[in-house]
Formats: sequence, structure tokens, C-alpha cells
Amino acid sequence: MSGKPKIGVWVCECGGNIGDYVDVQRVVEAIRPEVAYARRERYLCSKPSIENIKRTVQRLGLERVVLACCTPKMHRETFASNLEEVGLNRALLEMVNIREQCSWVHKDDPEGATQKALDLIRGGIERARVSKPLEAKRAKSIPEVLIIGGGVAGITASLRLAEYGLRVHLVEKRPSIGGHMIQYPKVFPTLDCSQCILTPKMASVSNNPNIDLITYAEVVEVSGVPGEFHVKVRLKPRGVNPDKCIGCGTCSRVCPVEVPSEYNMGLGPRKAAYIPFPQAVPSVYTIDFEACTRCGKCVEACPRDAINLDDEERIIELDVGAIILATGFELYDANDLPRYGYGRYPQVVTSLEMERILDVNGPTGGQLINPKTGKEFKRVAYILCAGSRDTENGKPYCSRVCCLYALKQAQLLLDRGVEVWIHYIDIRTPGRRYEEFYLETQRKGALFVKGKVVELIPEGDRIIVRGEDMMLNRIVENPVDLVVICPPVIVTDETHKLAEMLRIPVDEDGFILERHPKLDPVATKRDGVFACGMVLGPKDIQTTTAEAEAAAMKAVNFLSAERLIEPNKAYLIDPELCDGCGECVEACPEAAISIVDGKAVINEVLCSGCGACIPACPKGALDQQGLTEEQLKAQIRGILERSEADVKILAFVEREVVYTAVDLAGLARLEYPSSIRIIPLPSMSRLKLEHILYAFAYGADGVMLLEAPEHEGPYGKAHVISEERADDYRWELEDHGVDSFRLWYSRVYVPDWRKLKKVFTTFHDMIADEGPLDDETRAQLREELD
Amino acid sequence: MIVDVEEIDSRFLRRLKSEFDESYLSCFQCGVCSASCPVIEIEGRFNPRRLVKMARLGFKDRVLSSEYIWLCSMCLLCEERCPQGVRIPEVMTALRNLAVEEGYIPEPMRRIQRLLVESGRLYPIDDFTAEERAERGLPEVEAEPEFVKRLAG
Repeated sequence: MSGKPKIGVWVCECGGNIGDYVDVQRVVEAIRPEVAYARRERYLCSKPSIENIKRTVQRLGLERVVLACCTPKMHRETFASNLEEVGLNRALLEMVNIREQCSWVHKDDPEGATQKALDLIRGGIERARVSKPLEAKRAKSIPEVLIIGGGVAGITASLRLAEYGLRVHLVEKRPSIGGHMIQYPKVFPTLDCSQCILTPKMASVSNNPNIDLITYAEVVEVSGVPGEFHVKVRLKPRGVNPDKCIGCGTCSRVCPVEVPSEYNMGLGPRKAAYIPFPQAVPSVYTIDFEACTRCGKCVEACPRDAINLDDEERIIELDVGAIILATGFELYDANDLPRYGYGRYPQVVTSLEMERILDVNGPTGGQLINPKTGKEFKRVAYILCAGSRDTENGKPYCSRVCCLYALKQAQLLLDRGVEVWIHYIDIRTPGRRYEEFYLETQRKGALFVKGKVVELIPEGDRIIVRGEDMMLNRIVENPVDLVVICPPVIVTDETHKLAEMLRIPVDEDGFILERHPKLDPVATKRDGVFACGMVLGPKDIQTTTAEAEAAAMKAVNFLSAERLIEPNKAYLIDPELCDGCGECVEACPEAAISIVDGKAVINEVLCSGCGACIPACPKGALDQQGLTEEQLKAQIRGILERSEADVKILAFVEREVVYTAVDLAGLARLEYPSSIRIIPLPSMSRLKLEHILYAFAYGADGVMLLEAPEHEGPYGKAHVISEERADDYRWELEDHGVDSFRLWYSRVYVPDWRKLKKVFTTFHDMIADEGPLDDETRAQLREELD
Repeated sequence: MIVDVEEIDSRFLRRLKSEFDESYLSCFQCGVCSASCPVIEIEGRFNPRRLVKMARLGFKDRVLSSEYIWLCSMCLLCEERCPQGVRIPEVMTALRNLAVEEGYIPEPMRRIQRLLVESGRLYPIDDFTAEERAERGLPEVEAEPEFVKRLAG
């Protein structure tokens, strides 16, 4: 395929959809002398037409195909796969949109529409002339998954993946898996025993040969790419050899040091040589080196010689294909909610502390005693929304589980003769069997007061809860023995650091941002990284488990498919041209470029194809597959050079979000001036000043850059870069004798399609008023560019 | 009592919005303001939460004619504690301004105004006070300040 490739062009009438407004016959006649074959079709997408195209390609040995019809989003895939059957590489197919972006929007201007269709097709032809075949590369992923967090979410996902046959590395920061769920005596709405249902699953994790359980450890570094992540994990010094430890507990019995137990929320003690709770997994003791006095009693006592007080931390490395983040939640620090007196008044406990008080294995052995005072309690008040739904002092969101766990604790207390008052703003029970559970709590005798609690006033052993009872329009002062506050659930401390390491965004409340909040809720914004449970937002165990199953499935899906590496990557034209200045490294929003031995090296997997690096290179050493400099210029020139339109405006549009918006404007038959000619690009950051000058040199009177908003479309940060560049370009245009008003930049959301009519019309009117760019400037620009 | 929705005045709602910011629209009726309010301890029928609710619903005449909007002591405790950032004392001030515009001024307020118009002061500066001031080295004050009279008029 050297020299002049043989090009075939088909122009569709789409019944009357195109043919009624664009003189298709005239267009075909005009281009016939320029190509090997040109034909009009009534319906190009019909089966006979497609078969005809295939036969013609074979008969005439056509090397490029240009199809002028509806939006490529409609039938491109059909045409491309059919043409592949007759040996035409899909990169050699050019689609020209003359329906949504031409005939449907210029119904009142058939002459303009016909000229525009002809221009757009010429752009397609010229671009096709310099196209090259491209092959998408494929890569296999490492069939192993890292799961961060060993709560019910991480446990569920691990078991599911191991069952499927994938190798799982489950990393947990504490000495045992189990998370928060193992701290609860009962769970709503079934009131079944939390430990009874979770313990067997924890045991399965430790027994499953496919699960590599790494406890008392933290992920410290993640590098590589989706499908091939390299992970460093820091193993905290445990002081006990897990292979030797038989879990007999001798070390703990002889240990003289006592510190507050994390498992019991600090309400009871544990030893410095400890196991967090009896059914811990792994059943291995841990030396808490922060508390340990190194007296050596445990070393002497250990019958297995398993203890080493000089143990040091170690870093291990893992290679995995996918990562699931399941780091769960913690409660907002109740000390930061001074209104509720936590830390000041011993009669105030958090809901998590109450879980431990209610547990037969808790700090009070299940007796209804406040461990902070040692006194029995007979009358308890719950304060809901203690910091949740509070934009001023706490978190603005609803923590979603507090209503239900307060109802659960209330039932457990009521069953044992305790009087329970629940101070609430709204009781929210969205979930199966939850409203019934609320009703059951009322039947058992809980007393509900609608109104947020404003203060706590200690009075002797008791404490007075003050709030309005809005139903009675009266202020209530309720003296109780114990106050249980329900602070907001928030992401854990280390989540933010992990999110940065994994390069996934979080929302304003710190929760992990989903790829799509409705339609892709357990995928993160990055390929190969998934999340489940509370790290995605407050939720109950049922939903957490469902999300864990879903995240496991997403990981399986991701790892089993060979990853297609789209042929849209930036590449170095010639290593000789590159002097390793690193400008491209700075520009790349994906961190896909590095300088190796003084030359830019582009990671094909990381490169998203946004094109932002190409204008950054001062040597012009970079180009992009499928959208080469040569192709882009050929298309610009093809569209403009021979056009006879009075006003010519070239609009570069971001090809996912904005292009869709422009198509929608077509679908709605919004009329706008036929001067607008569109070229889709991955992002406006792909454009060099040179391209814009080129457009002006060959006939454009105005150039528009319509970019997607930062958080829409696949290229995110590239859209920010493009805005900065457009600002610079505007000034530089003036230096080349082109008024800066001739360059328009704006961002368009998909729902903005209604506004496009106004955007296009406004710019057209302005350019038309000012008149075309003068020939002298054009001639000068051509001279400069050649 | 049945609420008569015919009483709702949408112009009043627009007026309220333009009179101050829209923060009061985010009130979700939690009762923090009422339970924090020191005025309630003295006058149990005063309830800022209900006033905000009624204003929010657009019961113009009921709200503006209510003497309760004049009872807020502007202590700002509710504002400090409101979880939704509603500045209730400012709502009260706006309601008072609108009430005056509509001619709803409670009799005690009228009396205060009359006093100010007539004498420029709520409490007269008598010889005793003047002497006390002089003893403490405070400057002399106008017995009946004209500018206050003009303002109050």
C-alpha cells in the first residue's frame, strides 16, 4: 500500500434523513474524480448494502473505505467488523457524520448542508489517504488479587475469589481478621449471633490454600499498571513466629504488662503479649512492642520457643493483577463532639462501646454495668445523629446504620429490663425487614423522642439529656444512667493514603469515588482496582457482603479477559529526536512516561491516549497512533481548503462526552449554522498551536475547542491542561496576525446539548460579523507553516 | 385545627428569600434551636423551630402578626448549634422587618417607638444620672438626642 492508496467512498441518503437536505448525488459527482470508487446508497446500513461494500472492496482491491452516513457511534462497529472479514484493517475505515451533525441540523439550509457534507467527506478522504493499519495488542493479567482489609467485606471477597481458583493475598492491619463485625454480639434485623456466623468464615480464610493471609501488616507501596501491579507490604514486628506458635496463651498469662484492649474499645485490659479475642484468625499471639518492657518472661515460658523480642519489621513484595480495597470504617472521634460530653462524663459511651458491653465476652462479661463507673444502669438514652447530618459540627451525610443498630441494642436492653429512650431526628429504616424491626422495638417498649439532643447535664450519678420533643412541642429533660451516642461512620485513617497510592479519587467526605454511582458502583475510577463495603459509603452488613461478592466478580472479569491495549498510544517517532528534557513527563496526566537512559519511554498500558504529551514536546518527537500529525493535518486541510462556504468554522470536539452532546442536538433537530465543521479528538490537549494556525491558513475563519468537563469522559485531567493551553494559544495567535476572538474554548456536559445551538450560533454570528480572515494573513501563515 | 393551604403566600416566600440568604430552606426540623432557646424557659409558647417551619410554608399573615417573632433575644445559641447552618436570629430580624412593613407592630413596640420619637431616649437622663456620670469622668450626653428622634420618626 504505497503511493496513492485506492479509496472507496459511500454516501448514504438514510432514506430522506440525509437525502432530503443534502444533495447526495452532487456530492458523489464532486468526489468521484478524486477517488477510485464513489457511490450513493439509499440505506448504507442495510444488509445488501454492507454485502455490496464488501464485494466492491474485494473486486476493486480498495485499500481505504470512507463511509459518509450517521454518527459513528451508531454503526461503526458493524461496518468495521464486516470490513475486517474482507481483510480491511479497521484503522483504514473512515466514518463521516453527515446526519446528526449535518443534514438534521441544517434543514433550512440545503445548499450549506450539501457544501458541508462535501467538505467533511473530503476531510475523511484526505485523512484516509495517510492512514496506516493498526493492531490492538493484548496482554494477560497476573491471576492474583490483593485484598486490603480483613473485615466482613475482605473476608467475603477473599473466599469468593479463592473458590473461583484465584490466588488471594489478604492484608489486614490488626493481628486478626474479623473487622468490626466480630465485635458485635448480635446483628440486625435477625438478631443472630454475629460471631457465630462470621467465625466459620474466618476459619475458612485461614484454611483455604488459595488465600495468603497476611495479618499485622500494611500496604506501603503500589506501582505498576492494572493487570500487573507490584505491591510492597510492611509486616509489623510480631515477636512471635507464627509457624511455631500453637496459640496456648502461656506468654499472655505470664506477661506482667496490661494495656487497654482494642477489641473491647479500651473498656477492658489486655496483656502486651496477647491475642485480640479467643477465636482470632490466625490463632497466633502478638507481642505489642509499644507496651512490652522486654522483661523476657514470655520468652522463658513459651513451650515452643516461638518468641523473639528482637523481631524486626519486614517488607514483602507481591505481584497481583487486581486490587480490592475493603478497609471499612471507624467511628468519628467522639472527643470532637464536645456537646455530648464524651470523655468528660463517664456516663457517656459510644455505640461501639455499647456493643462490647452487650457481649458476654465483653469487658463486663455481659453484665449491664457501665465499665467506666462500675455502676449498673437501668435507664439508657440513645442520641442518634450525634454528628451525622450535621454540616456544622460533624459530617453532613446520614451514617445509615445508626438507626438500626440503636434499635438492635435497644431490643437487647429491653429484653433484660432496661428502660430505653431513643432521641432521634428521623428514624430511617430503608432495608428489607428493617421497618418491621423498628415496629418490634416499639412493641418491646422503647420510647422515642423526636428532636435532636442539644446538651447533657450531669446530676449526681445520672445525666440529664435535654432536647425538644417535637411531637409534644415541649422541651424534654430526661435523667438517665447511661447515654449512648451514635457518631458518624467515617473511612479509616489509612484510607486516604491508600487511595493516593492506588491513584483513585475520593469524594468530599473521604469515601472512595465509584466509577459510576449507579451503574458501576464497586469499580473505582482506575482499571483493576475495586472497592466494597463502608469504604464506599455507610452501609449495613448485608449490602457490604453483596458488594464484596460483586467486587470479587468484577476482579474475576477483569483478570480473565485479555486486556486489549487500544492502538491509540502516544509514541516516540524517532529516539534520536528526543533529548530527554522531560516536558512530556510533566504533561502526562497518567504518569505513563518516564525518562530511561535520556529518552522518553511511554508505557503502552498506562497511556490513555489523551494526546496531552504531544504538544508538550519541544522537539516534535512525539506522535499518536490512529491520530497522527499527518492524519490530523490532512483532515483539517481536506475539510477547509476547497470549501466554497462563506464562513468556515472548525470545531474540535472531545470525542466521548461532547461528541455525544452534538449528536443529541442533531437528534433533537436543533438548527445551527452550517459553517460549523466538526473534528473529534480524545481531548483538546492533543492540539498544538500549529494545528490551529493550520486551520486558519487553509480557510478557517474561526476555531472552536469544545472540551468535556474535568470529571466526565475518560481523560479527566487532560481537560484541565487543555484549558491552560487554549489561554496561551489565544495570545500566540495574535502574534501570528490572527485576532484572539477567532478561538473559542468552552466545556460541554452531555446535558448541555440544548445549549449547543446557542454556542454555535453565537460564535458563527460573531465571526460572520467580523468577516472572513483576510487572504494576506492566510498566505503568510502558510508560508510560516511550510 | 386544619391548616388552610390557601393562606400560603408564594410572594412572601420569594420576599423572604431575597431578604436574606436561603439557609433557612435547609431547616430539617430537628428541634435543636427550640431545645437550646433560653426564651422558651420563660415563655413556653415561643418556639423558633415552629416559626421557621411556618415561614417556610409561607403562612405570611400568621407569622408576621405573631408576637413571638419579637421575643427572640438574639443570644445566637441556636445559630451556634444548628446542624444545617440556619441563622435563625437573622430569620427573626428579617421577619420583624417584614412585619413592620406590613404594619404588624405589637403595642409594646409602638410604645417604645413613641417614647423614642418624643424624647429620643427610653430612659430619661435625670440629674442623678448626670451627676453619677460626671463623678465617674464620663462625658456629658444630650438629654434628648435629636438624631434618635429623627430616626425613630
